[in-house]
Amino acid sequence: MTQFLIENMAPLMFGALVVVMLFGYPVAFALAACGIFFGLLGIQLGLLQPSLFQALPQRIWAIMSNDTLLAVPFFTFMGLILERSGMAEDLLDTIGQLFGPLRGGLAFAVIFVGALLAATTGVVAASVISMGLISLPIMLRYGYDRRFATGVIAASGTLAQIIPPSLVLIVMADQLGKSVGDMYAGAFVPGITLAGLYAIYAVGITLVRPAWAPALPVEARTIKENSGASGTKSLAVLFVVSVIAAVAFAHWKYPQPNPPIDELLVLSTAVGVGVAFGASVVNHVLKLGLLSRMAERVTFVLIPPLALILLVLGTIFLGVATPTEGGAMGASGALVMAISRRRLSIDLMRQAMNTTAKLTSFVVFILVGARVFSLTFYGVDGHLWVEHLLSSLPGGQIGFLIVVNLLVFVLAFFLDFFELAFIIIPLLGPVAEKLGIDLIWFGILLSVNMQTSFMHPPFGYALFYLRSVAATKDYVDKVTGKTLAKVTTGQIYWGAVPFVLIQLIMVGLIIAFPGLVSGGLAKKAAVNTDQIRIEIPADEGGSAPLEGSPAADDASKGGGTAGDDDAAALERELRGGKK
Amino acid sequence: MMRGLLGLSRAIDAMNETVGKLTYWLILAAVLISTGNAIVRYGLNTSSNAWLEIQWYLFSFVFLFCAGYTLLHNQHARIDILTGHLSGRAKAWIDILGTMFFLLPMAIAIMWLSWPVFVDAWQSNEVSTNAGGLLIWPGRLMVPVGFLLLVLQGLSELIKRVAFLLGMIPDPSEKDEGPTDEELLAEQLRKERGETA
Repeated sequence: MTQFLIENMAPLMFGALVVVMLFGYPVAFALAACGIFFGLLGIQLGLLQPSLFQALPQRIWAIMSNDTLLAVPFFTFMGLILERSGMAEDLLDTIGQLFGPLRGGLAFAVIFVGALLAATTGVVAASVISMGLISLPIMLRYGYDRRFATGVIAASGTLAQIIPPSLVLIVMADQLGKSVGDMYAGAFVPGITLAGLYAIYAVGITLVRPAWAPALPVEARTIKENSGASGTKSLAVLFVVSVIAAVAFAHWKYPQPNPPIDELLVLSTAVGVGVAFGASVVNHVLKLGLLSRMAERVTFVLIPPLALILLVLGTIFLGVATPTEGGAMGASGALVMAISRRRLSIDLMRQAMNTTAKLTSFVVFILVGARVFSLTFYGVDGHLWVEHLLSSLPGGQIGFLIVVNLLVFVLAFFLDFFELAFIIIPLLGPVAEKLGIDLIWFGILLSVNMQTSFMHPPFGYALFYLRSVAATKDYVDKVTGKTLAKVTTGQIYWGAVPFVLIQLIMVGLIIAFPGLVSGGLAKKAAVNTDQIRIEIPADEGGSAPLEGSPAADDASKGGGTAGDDDAAALERELRGGKK
Repeated sequence: MMRGLLGLSRAIDAMNETVGKLTYWLILAAVLISTGNAIVRYGLNTSSNAWLEIQWYLFSFVFLFCAGYTLLHNQHARIDILTGHLSGRAKAWIDILGTMFFLLPMAIAIMWLSWPVFVDAWQSNEVSTNAGGLLIWPGRLMVPVGFLLLVLQGLSELIKRVAFLLGMIPDPSEKDEGPTDEELLAEQLRKERGETA
């Protein structure tokens, strides 16, 4: 019996993990208790040193002083304030009006606004609820196919999971021991590509089934000139002028052949946005009448999200701010925006802080539980057992990727991504690295995979929130006076299916064309060698092993408790000393 | 006996409720301080390690001191795929067993292990290794205190579950938590659109 226990400690412990997690008690505590119980057992059996648990306080200290995780409450708070600031409504109304007269236009508007909200608010539930209450009734009013309409809303809402500054990417980077800035940069192209694939599907629908996505009739348009003209020509002119200004700025500022691409993109975008904003303000204040109402409206509703994106993601990509500082500035920006729109009440503040505090606590406690568990699990060489299991799969890299993706796909139905990231990812990361897989690429692949679980029937959260706001009874439309049928749960589920398939295609694309992820990074590396003066977030996390990384795990197991502190100090110095 | 324990449970709940409601303001403080740090660093090109360290002191304070508050509001993540549909009594049993065999042992163990680390830092007056950094002991003290709050809340939840099984109080897990963020957002949007839910 004892011999059996000693030889099979790791698999037994893993089995116990599954059992205690499924017990239905908060996983953070179940995990930690499992780690402590097996630790005591291991000490009894002579497998582990009696001093094993002396490393526990140091592990908790390492979590406390982890600057990366600090970004979690910041981005959460930012999202909670922003979702109530009215930004989403303005965007959906105006962009809906702009694209509406096109066939499939409302679907394009939903995808476009979904991507913008993903890059700012970053909360799936908020995006889906806003679109479900604002865009869905209009789509149904003008005869959109119900499955197509609900599917495009649910899918666009989940873009918040993959487009930076997503929380998934933060914890993923932390657990894989990579910098959040790199993870963000790597996720950008896949995120935009995914939105593009949704749009391509929508175009396909307008071609094959035009009746599913009709153009809005002229009378549905409320933003128009006194003459009745749409005013889109004026908008197009303004857009072209802004783009010319941005390109001209880029040529003037960076005449050299190998410009620093991140800096160039961020700064010239800022210039373009500034020109459009300046023109609209001058036109509005001086009542010049040079710009149409539509042009003015579109500029004014796009400014807040674009300004926030530049403030948060722009500064992170430029290396001016760490992701944590980016999150804090974004949260401050959201507060300023909510105040300027007179949407910030003391109740909203309390609500947002309350939710943020509870979320932070439960998320970090899952990590605490996972680290207590891993202290023992790594002590009994559980990581070697998992590594052996996974690296002996047939098919090498591809075999590993297929199995891991299937595993994560299935687990994502039961576990939320924090649980997956803190428990499963630290076990998979080292194996992936040994097989020669780039961890940034691996993290983004898994993030796209996990995003799917948000829209997969019947458990997908996005579907759940859409269900909660879509009509459950037949209703009379206020504008047309016609009675419209309720939205059935079956319609929502079936509507999601094509988009789940698109997700799977995207996973396949990332595997087939790794350049989708590393494209941005390769450019960064080139920049780094040519142009030393811009520092990129890549420099921060990379040089110091992050707390969640397996390397740090081994360090503290080896009794070197100073390792964590030194790493944190080194990291801080790097940040502090950086211009 | 049980009445006295229920009184204790109410006292613990009230305490953690207060601790949580006061602690969450530190989120705002952390946001403002961190924003200030970023602006000062790039605007004035200086930075202070003390102010950088305050950021994660606040973060740690929030997650540790709100652990009990989060448990009080039943917000620690569970996997209830197998047990979600069980009756209220069965769920009370899960919570009783979970509290006794998972929560209390781990929280007491961590409290126990982290106390001497605090005493050490306190006696040696240990200061952060960063130039101009903060005293270490307040950070070290947060761990045992945070876990103490969690242990107390665990006891309170235990008392409430047992009292429920004895038929003395209604199911504590069905307490009205008020509208969620999602419900508030939906309500606001509906109101602005002039619709009734």
